[in-house]
Amino acid sequence: MDMSTEIGDGVIMDYFVSMLLIGIGVALLATGLFTSYFGAGKSQKIGLGLLVTGILAIIITYILTFEAGTGVTTQFDDGVFMDALVSGISALAGMIIGMFVILFVLMKVDTVDDLEDLDLEDLEDLDLDEELKKLEKELNADSSGEEE
Amino acid sequence: MAETSEIAISMLIVGSALSMLLMGLLISYYGSSKTRNVGILFLALGIALMYYVTSMAYDSVVFMNSILAFVGGMLGGIIGIVIFLVAIIKS
Repeated sequence: MDMSTEIGDGVIMDYFVSMLLIGIGVALLATGLFTSYFGAGKSQKIGLGLLVTGILAIIITYILTFEAGTGVTTQFDDGVFMDALVSGISALAGMIIGMFVILFVLMKVDTVDDLEDLDLEDLEDLDLDEELKKLEKELNADSSGEEE
Repeated sequence: MAETSEIAISMLIVGSALSMLLMGLLISYYGSSKTRNVGILFLALGIALMYYVTSMAYDSVVFMNSILAFVGGMLGGIIGIVIFLVAIIKS
């Protein structure tokens, strides 16, 4: 497979930078939502700040990509941006599906037989009353030693 | 511009292969007996999926550009979380 890219043809700008901005925006939006909802006092204010910054990052990326009627010259090709967005979302969805498959298989596989390696016979032979008496004796001996 | 379905399917496979590779590595290293075997299976499956997606009869330039977009998105997400952590820790 030829692993060459069209670098120099605006690829870094259209694919990488646009998705970088979207990534920052989504991460700030998500963390800001959580912090502003669950936080209290100063943390809540920081959360609101992060939320607003995230929304701004997404809006700026939108304005730089599509003709939004703001008079700003677009920096990213809208068709390429959509391809980049589809690839990013697809890869994330693939990662989530992969994780679910792994978790499902791990939960279905009977890993309890690892306990067979343990020698449970020793535990069965253990006389708990006797062990308790021994412990009491040791404790009594320690406490009498401290009093002296 | 490439066919959107081609991009979506190939990146879906790349994403699942990546998670299987990483999780397979972790499980096969830290797991014991049966769990370790499952980890090795996932590792092999991840490698096979990666091999399949790179050897697919598909426009390589578009594929590499999609990878570039995915890396950009992931990096953006990491930067966003770092900004969040810095803001919370500094307060």
